[in-house]
Amino acid sequence: MSLLELKGVSKIYGDLKALDNVNIHVDKGEWVAIMGPSGSGKSTMMNIIGCMDKPSTGEVLLDGVDISKESSKALTDIRRDKIGLVFQQFHMVNYLTAVENVMVSQYYHSMPDEEEALEALGRVGLRERAKHLPSQLSGGEQQRVCVARALINHPELILADEPTGNLDEANENIVLDLFRQLHDEGTTLIVVTHDPEVAEAAQRTIVLEHGRVAREVINENFGK
Amino acid sequence: MSKRKMFLRMITASLLRRRSRMLIALLSIAIGATILSGLVTIYYDVPRQMGAQFRSYGANMILLAKEGESLTTDTLQDALSVIPEDQLVGATPYRYVRLDMTSRQQSFTTAGTDFAEVQKTSPYFSVEGEYPQAAEEILLGKEIADTIGAKVGSYIQLTWRPVVTVHENASDDWVPNAKLSGSAEGFNAGIVVVEATLDDEGKIATLEIDASSQTPEIGGQVETDRNFISRFIGQSLPVSLGEDVDAVSGATISSQAVVDALNNARSTAKGSAAAERSGYFNVTGILVTGGEEESYIYMNLKDLEGLTNDNLLDVAELSVSANAEQLEEYAKAIDGSDAGITARLVKRVTRSETAVLGKLQALVFLVTVVVLLLTMICVSTTMMAVVSERRREIGLRKALGAPDSSIRAEFLGEGMFLGGLGGLLGGLLGFVFAQVVSVNVFGSSITFQPLLLPITLLVSMLIAAVSCLLPIKRAVAIDPALVLKGE
Repeated sequence: MSLLELKGVSKIYGDLKALDNVNIHVDKGEWVAIMGPSGSGKSTMMNIIGCMDKPSTGEVLLDGVDISKESSKALTDIRRDKIGLVFQQFHMVNYLTAVENVMVSQYYHSMPDEEEALEALGRVGLRERAKHLPSQLSGGEQQRVCVARALINHPELILADEPTGNLDEANENIVLDLFRQLHDEGTTLIVVTHDPEVAEAAQRTIVLEHGRVAREVINENFGK
Repeated sequence: MSKRKMFLRMITASLLRRRSRMLIALLSIAIGATILSGLVTIYYDVPRQMGAQFRSYGANMILLAKEGESLTTDTLQDALSVIPEDQLVGATPYRYVRLDMTSRQQSFTTAGTDFAEVQKTSPYFSVEGEYPQAAEEILLGKEIADTIGAKVGSYIQLTWRPVVTVHENASDDWVPNAKLSGSAEGFNAGIVVVEATLDDEGKIATLEIDASSQTPEIGGQVETDRNFISRFIGQSLPVSLGEDVDAVSGATISSQAVVDALNNARSTAKGSAAAERSGYFNVTGILVTGGEEESYIYMNLKDLEGLTNDNLLDVAELSVSANAEQLEEYAKAIDGSDAGITARLVKRVTRSETAVLGKLQALVFLVTVVVLLLTMICVSTTMMAVVSERRREIGLRKALGAPDSSIRAEFLGEGMFLGGLGGLLGGLLGFVFAQVVSVNVFGSSITFQPLLLPITLLVSMLIAAVSCLLPIKRAVAIDPALVLKGE
């Protein structure tokens, strides 16, 4: 059963076709990597899937709802309820502690719950660092906080934009392990990357070139 | 944890952990609030302060007896009860009487008054020497002092002589040293008027006759006939025609009228058993005002009452610290009371006071508005900088699902928190500011207005909120997608 389906999606900026008639689908619980060189349309696709932009033409079905025609207010609600975001630059609120950063996500979603937030931090191995400000955390630790923040509201889909782009190998592995755990729990993962190693961790890789789907690769080594 | 708690936690964290930027906004609000509350304090205090200043230009209300009534120390007290004690700067009674200066055979207008009050209602009086303090001390107008060559320390004998008025049906008593006047019917119903003075023994010393109503060549002769007039001098009253004096020939009726008038006049002293009284007074000071006051003698009301043996007043000068409308009100209340006193405002003083106060208050108002605007610009600019500094955080919040209303609430919350804190600081500092201004400019301290603190707080919060409107608009417009672009 598909969670996400893009049907003939194009995004046109003036003369530039950032996305050109893209068709993809992602099943519930699937782990998909999206690869492609700069300018291939990864970011545009990410924005559309993340409910932060709308396609010029085509349909985007998220959990059966066509989000391509929704208002930006409705998109905000959908993003909050269904999607957990992880960014390359981590993006933490720099004057809030680790646990408070996790709670911000709860705050917008439903109710802040410090215990639950601490548990989520415990899951990414940072319970001890809960009261630290971002400036007191390493890059890897910050990204783990962001993963905790992304999963705190139990989203259907975790959308990660170059999640390991700014991490060393050790931290990259920690983050990928977290993704594996989430995948095992049935969370759908879409990871945008141009790191082949990160892509190989996924079940399937969609390669974008010039705004089109160039090819799809099934990772035969997945789970091994 | 409730949402509100988290909201407060985020706001306070934002303010406390990002101190330097917020301090600037806080400082500008606090300074704005300081000037605001300080100026408002002065705005409300200026009338009082300026009132006190204006009071130095003299009385602004005059009390007089209504027609047919009399002003006394007692009725004056009744009238004064209308004016609140804290607004009454001073109330000076005045009794004006002509006193003879024995050594110069000259009379001067003498004012009986209360010197302690004089110094309050006429602070511009300048005295060479000292104000009288004890009994039988007087202040001499400079003009008089120059005329008679008196100095501080001189003793002057002053004498009060009763003025006798004529009325009918008086008794036969007579008074030594009295001035008499009287009238009687002469020829053809014309009235003959006489004026006379008596010597120590009650004998006629001088006599003047007005017989202009009589036939000039006949009865009119009584006015000019020295022979006839001189016969009266040295006579005791009553006099009779034919026995004490002889009639002017051919003018018996007019001559009889002069005798009748004199006998009538004699009878006028009835009831006022008053004799002249005199005392020696010590000059303690010479009064210099540059005005008509320099031609008066001032003495204690008690001393004057001792001479005149009554407690009448002619006028009371009041200095009231109140605005024009209040003064009108008090004047009406005094007129309406049954003290028998009418109040008049010294328009010249109250009018200029109102005009100057109006201008001053307008100026303070203008400055306040300008300061408020400057504060708003400063806070707005700071918040604008804060928004662009926090673009990414705002984008992140939106990406995490923050609705626009949440972004608005957070920035407004931060702004109003700053406004409140700045307002509290400014409210307290403003009092200090007003106090310093008041002490330096007006030379008196001001009272703390407790109500001003919450008002300053609210106004500061409001200003902060308004200043945040534009920055918030910017914050809401931030595109959440910017967090994905790896900027």
